[in-house]
Formats: sequence, structure tokens, C-alpha cells
Amino acid sequence: MSNLITAEHFQMVAQYADLFKQGMVITILLSALTVLFGFFLALMLAIMRLSNLRPFRFLAVDREGHLREQGFAFALSRFNPVSFIATVYVEVFRATPMLVQLWLVYYLLFDKAVIDLPKVTVLGFIRLERFIPGVVALALNSGAYLSEIVRAGIQSIDGGQTEAARSLGLTQGQNMRYVVLPQAIKNTLPAIANEFVTIIKESAITYTIGVQDIMSAVNATKGALYIMAEPLIVATVMYFCLTFPTSKIIAYFERRMSRGDRR
Amino acid sequence: MATGGSLIRVIGLKKYYNRGAIKALDDVSVDINRGDVMVVIGPSGSGKSTFLRSLNLLEEPTEGSIVFDGVDITKSRTKTEDGKTLKLNIDQHRQKMGMVFQHFNLFPHKTILDNMTLAPIKVRHMDKAAAEEKALTLLDRVGLKDRAGAYPIQLSGGQKQRVAIVRALAMEPQVMLFDEPTSALDPEMVGEVLDVMKELAREGMTMVVVTHEMGFAREVGNRVLFMADGKLLEQGSPDDIFGHPENPRLQDFLSKVL
Repeated sequence: MSNLITAEHFQMVAQYADLFKQGMVITILLSALTVLFGFFLALMLAIMRLSNLRPFRFLAVDREGHLREQGFAFALSRFNPVSFIATVYVEVFRATPMLVQLWLVYYLLFDKAVIDLPKVTVLGFIRLERFIPGVVALALNSGAYLSEIVRAGIQSIDGGQTEAARSLGLTQGQNMRYVVLPQAIKNTLPAIANEFVTIIKESAITYTIGVQDIMSAVNATKGALYIMAEPLIVATVMYFCLTFPTSKIIAYFERRMSRGDRR
Repeated sequence: MATGGSLIRVIGLKKYYNRGAIKALDDVSVDINRGDVMVVIGPSGSGKSTFLRSLNLLEEPTEGSIVFDGVDITKSRTKTEDGKTLKLNIDQHRQKMGMVFQHFNLFPHKTILDNMTLAPIKVRHMDKAAAEEKALTLLDRVGLKDRAGAYPIQLSGGQKQRVAIVRALAMEPQVMLFDEPTSALDPEMVGEVLDVMKELAREGMTMVVVTHEMGFAREVGNRVLFMADGKLLEQGSPDDIFGHPENPRLQDFLSKVL
């Protein structure tokens, strides 16, 4: 394998242009779907973590009618199972490697015995039985990260906003949807953009379960031509062409949404 | 000035923090009648704001009840005469009580017009055109029609508070609650907000106003409550409260603020 970068090598890589094009389409679809599902998962997790459900609230008072101040019953009275589940989820997904999660999803969850995906190929090159586990694993992972961003965003909104909304008769859900979330998402847009860019880059590891993304095109070219540098350079440029405009587009929306901040 | 019967009846209202160590409200009972302009005064930390915020349950009272327009809104379930259980929908009652805050709490991501039409459209299901027309009429009344397309940050404090008042009025409330509406304003802007409130009082709106503006209390209020340490210590007409204060705490308070 030669490590000299040469024009001839690039011409040889050009024979595999179709593979790279298909890889690009798959990477884009993979990231877009991950963002979509990951974001909804994040919203759900954030709202779960901020919920105020305490099903054992009645345990706060003992038999004589006094408020408990300590002990197991006191702890149980303050326990919020919904928030607990969401917290466990977020902590587990943030504390384990993405590669492990991906393989767990592909080899355990989408094992024939559990969820048997039909071997369907879309557009002639998207093999769903590999693509779908890729999206699921990436979305589960990015949902955990995004939920922390969304949660911080929601908590950063002044309580007076909710008080004003509720005093006007808006329900808790309407307050979230029309008052709190638009402001929370606006405030956290740079962090969300960062996460979106991360998803595009991290989607590269799905080639390990046979998703034919950009990285898989690199692998195929390497195997066929015994050259490494040039395909990698092509992949680098392609990833950059995806991530750079993404952050620019989000910066545009950020400016649009911050109209209320300017005098 | 007062016309009609009781609109809000507060009975034995208590609000405790730290399991009773702090008594923000200590057994407050009062009747607010239709057409009342009730001004609540007292030193800071006296429970005035807690009292006001309890009226629409922004603060959940520890004990006691608040009967608004015939319904006890502190009970999450009530039994009707024929034995059915009714679940309380607090949102339905809150929309009948307009609230104005010290820090305005306009929605910064929405224009003035959108601030005003959000609740009428989403809560009262008015159509957009009708809600906007109503909003513009209200804005015109407070001289801010030309700022309908502006964002809150582009307005002065006094303008923001006038918008906050008409935003609450857009829901056609039966009572308006004011929580120190002029305390966060520059002195030269206090007058414009008080003028709007006076106008509102003249039209017969039932109002509960927590304020440090003793001039307003005297001139516009028909009843004054004096609170200290979470207790309602004295109540009466402005003439009684300011002219012949009886409680020593009130005498002391007035000697400091007048």
C-alpha cells in the first residue's frame, strides 16, 4: 500500500464515485432521521425529567396526620418514577461507548428472534435491515445528549413566563409549547447545532454494522485498490461539505429567532 | 363604588413553608366584592404578594379556601347536588382572573400583538382576525397601537406594563390582580401605568392591587388591607386606614412611608 498521495490514485478512486455518492445520500438520510427522532426523544426525556409526578405523595403524612421528615416512606413520597426512568436512560447512554450501543442495538435488538426486519433495499442501495438499526442506535444515543441540552434550556427560562402564561389560562402543555419551548430552543440553538454536527460525524461508525455510508465507501475502495490516503481525503471533504453548511443554516435560524432580542 | 355581591371569598387562608416554620400567610379571611378596588399594603415580607398570588393559585395554599364566583378553587374535586364528582379545571378559572406582575412577564419571543392574542386564540378559541382587532382596540386605549408589531425589548418599562395590563384585559377577566405593578419602573413611568389602572377602576373593574403607591391607595382604592407577618392586621376605607390607623404596626408603617 503506497502512502504517497498522487493524482493517479484520485483518478482510480473516481471509478468508485457512485459508491461515494450513495454513501453521501445514506449519511444524509441517516443523520436527518436521527436528528428527527433524536429530537423528539430528547423533548420527551426532558419533559419526563422535569415532571412533577409523585404517585406516593400520600406517604408524606403519617397515620397521626403529621408530615414525615425522614425515613423510607418520606423518600418514597418524594419519588418520581417518570423522572427516575428518564434519568437512568440518559446516564446509561451518556456513560457507554456509542459503538457498544450500536452493536447492542444491531446484534441484540434487531436479532432475528427479537425484531426481524425484512431484507428490503430502497433506491437500489439502502439496505433497510442495516439502515434502520443504524438510525435507531444513533437516535437513542443523541436523544440522551440532546435531552440534557433541552432540559437546561427549559430550566433557563424565567419562572415568570410560566406564571404569566398560566395566569392567562393556558394549560401546562400550551405553556410549554407556545411560551417555554420556543424560548428554550432559541437559547440552546448553538448547543443543538453542535449536537446535529456531531450526529453527522458519528454516523460514520454505522459502517461497522454494514450501513453503506461514506465510510463504507472508503472501506470498499481501500479493499479494491489497496490505497488508503486518497479515499480518506475524499471522505474528509465530503463530511466537511455536510457539517459546515449545517452549522451555517442553523446560525441563520438563530439570527431569525433572536429578532426579539434586538432593540 | 362597590356594586354587587362577593366575587372572591377568602376563608382562613394559610401558607406555610418549611413545615410551618415560616408562616407566609396566617389565617387570612376577606371578601372581595364586585367593583371593589382593594389595595393591599404592608412592609416587605408581610405576605401581600403571597396573598395575591394565592387568589389564582399561583401559590398553593397550605390550608383554607378561596371561593371564586361560587366555586371553591382550592378543592380539586367537588360534589354537585346530585352526587356527581366534578373535577376542578383551574385553567378555566384562571382565565377569568387577569394578573399583572412586577416584572411584566411579557413573552419576549412574540410581538406585542402576538403577546395579546396568544391566550384569546389558544384558550378562548377566538379566530385570529377577531383577536387581533380586539387587541388593537385595547392597545389603542393605552396609546400603544402603533407598537403592535414591536417586540417587548423595544418598549420602555412603562409601555411594557401597559401592554401587560391590556394583555390580561384581552381575556375579559372578572377581576384584575396587580402584583406591585409599578415597583420595577423608573419614577417617570409610574404615572402612565397608574393612569391606566385608574381608568380601569373608573370603569368598574374589580381590582386587587398590591402596591407601595400610597397616593393610589388613597385616591383610587375603596378598601385598604394592611398586612404584616402574614396576618391581615387592619382593613377599612382609605380614610380610616390613613386617617385613623388603629393597629400600632400600621401606625409605625405609615409613619415610615408617608
